[in-house]
Amino acid sequence: MVSSAMEEGLIYNIKLSSIGPGNVTVPDSIYEPENMDLAMKLHYLRCIYYFGNKAFEGLTPLVIKEPMFVWLNEFPVTSGRFRRTEAGRPYIKCNDSGVRFIEASCDKTLEEWLETKDDAHEKALVSSQIIGPELSFSPLVFIQLTKFKCGGTAVGLSWAHALGDAFSAARFMNQLGKTMDGNGPGRPIALAQSLTKSTSANIQPGDVEDPLSIKRVGPVGENWMKVTECNMNTFSFNIPGTQLSHLQSKLRREGAEFSPFEALSAVLWQCIAKIRGRGPKVVTICEKGKKNETDGTLGNGLNVSVVKAEFPIEEATPSELATLLKTRALDERKKIDQIMEKEQGLSDFIVYGANLTFVNLDEGNFYEFEYRGQKPVSFSLKIDGVGEEGAILVLPGDKNVCEGRKVTAILPENEITELKDELKREGLLA
Amino acid sequence: MPPSYWCGLLLQKRNSTFPAKRKPKQIMAPKLQDFSLSVKLKYVKLGYQYLVDNLLAFFLIPIIIALFLESLRLSPEEIIQFWDSMHLTSLHIICSLFLIIYTATFFFMSRPRTVYLIDYALFKPPQSLRVSFAGFMEHAHILLHDEPKSVDFQMRILERSGIGEETSFPPAMCFIPPAPTMRRSREEAELIIFSCMDSLFQKTGMRPRDIDILIVNCSLFSPTPSLTAMVINKYKMRSNIKSFNLSGMGCSAGLISIDLAKDLLQQHPNSNAVVISTEILTPNCYLGKERAMLLPNCLFRMGGAAVLLSNRWSERRRAKYVLSHVVRTHKGADDKSYNCIQQEEDSEGHVGIKLNKDLMAIAGEALKSNITTIGPLVLPASEQILFAFSLLRRKLFNPKLKPYIPDFKQAFEHFCIHAGGRAVIDELQKNLQLTAEQVEASRMTLHRFGNTSSSSLWYELSYIESKGRMRKGDRVWQIGFGSGFKCNSAVWKCNRDIITPVEGPWADCIDRYPVHIPEVVKL
Repeated sequence: MVSSAMEEGLIYNIKLSSIGPGNVTVPDSIYEPENMDLAMKLHYLRCIYYFGNKAFEGLTPLVIKEPMFVWLNEFPVTSGRFRRTEAGRPYIKCNDSGVRFIEASCDKTLEEWLETKDDAHEKALVSSQIIGPELSFSPLVFIQLTKFKCGGTAVGLSWAHALGDAFSAARFMNQLGKTMDGNGPGRPIALAQSLTKSTSANIQPGDVEDPLSIKRVGPVGENWMKVTECNMNTFSFNIPGTQLSHLQSKLRREGAEFSPFEALSAVLWQCIAKIRGRGPKVVTICEKGKKNETDGTLGNGLNVSVVKAEFPIEEATPSELATLLKTRALDERKKIDQIMEKEQGLSDFIVYGANLTFVNLDEGNFYEFEYRGQKPVSFSLKIDGVGEEGAILVLPGDKNVCEGRKVTAILPENEITELKDELKREGLLA
Repeated sequence: MPPSYWCGLLLQKRNSTFPAKRKPKQIMAPKLQDFSLSVKLKYVKLGYQYLVDNLLAFFLIPIIIALFLESLRLSPEEIIQFWDSMHLTSLHIICSLFLIIYTATFFFMSRPRTVYLIDYALFKPPQSLRVSFAGFMEHAHILLHDEPKSVDFQMRILERSGIGEETSFPPAMCFIPPAPTMRRSREEAELIIFSCMDSLFQKTGMRPRDIDILIVNCSLFSPTPSLTAMVINKYKMRSNIKSFNLSGMGCSAGLISIDLAKDLLQQHPNSNAVVISTEILTPNCYLGKERAMLLPNCLFRMGGAAVLLSNRWSERRRAKYVLSHVVRTHKGADDKSYNCIQQEEDSEGHVGIKLNKDLMAIAGEALKSNITTIGPLVLPASEQILFAFSLLRRKLFNPKLKPYIPDFKQAFEHFCIHAGGRAVIDELQKNLQLTAEQVEASRMTLHRFGNTSSSSLWYELSYIESKGRMRKGDRVWQIGFGSGFKCNSAVWKCNRDIITPVEGPWADCIDRYPVHIPEVVKL
């Protein structure tokens, strides 16, 4: 996929190769994704970690790749490829095909890039590939290393959401840093040798309604991407800690404290409602689940809940919306599991963008990815495959924005400019 | 050579039916009623072998005993009387003494210098260069997206190749598309050769300045300055070192280098020689779609070996092996043999190595020539006589009688067959009637390291050592095949027990071997 940055010649010297586990995975090993994983299969995380010049100084690509083979020993699933059972349910064959590795160079310095970057430019730093049209030859993970003129490096991770949520992806990358330091890898999960989920025993008769939080799409066949009618664009901005606490205190009511996520979501909900003029009355909230806290494995463990508003949104105050978000969220995970079970993983759904989705990633330890002791100076994350209702991601703030947050909005392109205006009016954007 | 074998050789040349298919050597199938008969015949054969192999001993021992008894019988005076009756003057005695001294000196001087193999070091590729089957197929699928038949062909080759999931490609070939450049070829050469040399110096305690002869063989990469010069420059070797760089000689070049080293060591007393055998894959990655030329891409992998040879008498204790024979056979005079492995351009201009379909048949012919020459050098007299008789019988009486295949298992304890591919090993196992254990080293080397060209024989030898099977006095037969078409053999004799664990590329995985290699691996 050629982005405008590549066309302009900003990114050049592109080389593709593959990296994989150094140890041989037991032949015929398979990994069967859970229902929640398959519900998320049309989404892709595109993360970019920016490092200063000390992190990768003096390292040739060969030297960089070497510890990655040790790192990937712990995650043989990421080097596998999707196949389908006879019934059609997707599973991953852990055949050591590998992770795609891309090397590139950029003529700008890191500072210049961070000053002038926008969504279109950032597309050049991370792969925009999807799974398909051939499942068995589509990598699930792409890692791109772009070297800036000053020696800084951008590490772009493209991650199939079917493998796991953003917290899993963060854990995956953080382990690379630990492997560089000599701590690891840990033991990989034991893989199965035969399929267990593909039997059609558990179809419950009777109607299981589609949950509100997901939307049926497709069928997409072997091209795992939902085609939207309009272009979805991304827009990010930082909110410093001071401004954030000011916002939180503004929203505080009757002694109820709102978390930064709730406060920001409420404000943005209202802004978007104003832009759209007529809602949305139902929003989805995705937050860190218990699975992410206890389990060390990869997987989709987000809590997915919906909030339904009974009153028109554009007339509500942000406090009311925040209260709704805090108190009236209905957990949908079980319903999603049931519908996926009924469909045997054969139908295609999207979660992000089925309704306006607020994703709480501010507890994500993305900044713990230390390469040779150096933390990233900046981090961005966006999601591909978001539906037309859009998604708002609340991420931890940039390193120099203490206690602040970074908000990334993924919306139809015509709504982005209007959102910017609204945010300026609210005083959140300079 | 015994006269019987000269006959055999003359008759052999006209006999073109060295059979490709071998029936079991048993006289008759062991049915119940014939079982006791076959056992009796086996013992008769054993007795015959002991008798003929030790014929000289059987003749001389009675004579010596008789003389000894006779001398005991005579009294000392009778012995002195016997001595005086010969009327030997001092001139006679002095001349006889000088004659004996001259003959002894002439005998010792004209004997060839013993060539000792002190030790050798092998290249172990880092994990980061590992190529999995699925990864290889995915790259092939992407590169030849418009040629599904070629991709399919590569998959079928890989499935049946006998190669495992731990073999390695050089970095340039891991790119999509492969990016072979001169610089990367040199880097690969430096990686392999320097790592082998460092390991060799560390194992043997030899210093670079002690090396008198340096031979490098690498068939498909021949830069200027040569790889030999690269080594001399890196290790700051002496200015009067004798260096030779052999290129273009195919997968059997390793043994050609050994032969050259052996000849040089006859000329130069008290010398050390280092032989480096490797194949640099980077410049030879085939980028086209011709099926006959895609085959090497599927089979060839990174590998290299450095061997330290010496003719110094001081090394006779610590040397691992002593070189007994090197036999080289070249079938280039025959057009078919010459053309069966050709490096050429395909219709689109991509350079690759084309392998002909009759490669196996030609290899069989070359092998036959080679063992005809090596047979008399290594087989015990009992086998040679049997073979000569069988030949005479077939020539004079009935050409339809099946020929007697000499039992090479009596001449050698271990076999190292070039791991050119599963077909090569299968063919040789059949032709030479070897057991599965005897070809195990070759099969396991093919599985773990792939076809590493001229260095594969050394990986196989290391396998046998790592398994603890190498004992003092064991004889090893290394057989290499290469373009031309050449078949070269070397025979080594083990000089000392080799105790495990053996430092080398097998150290961390020898316990997993042998593995069962299925006929077809499903990808």
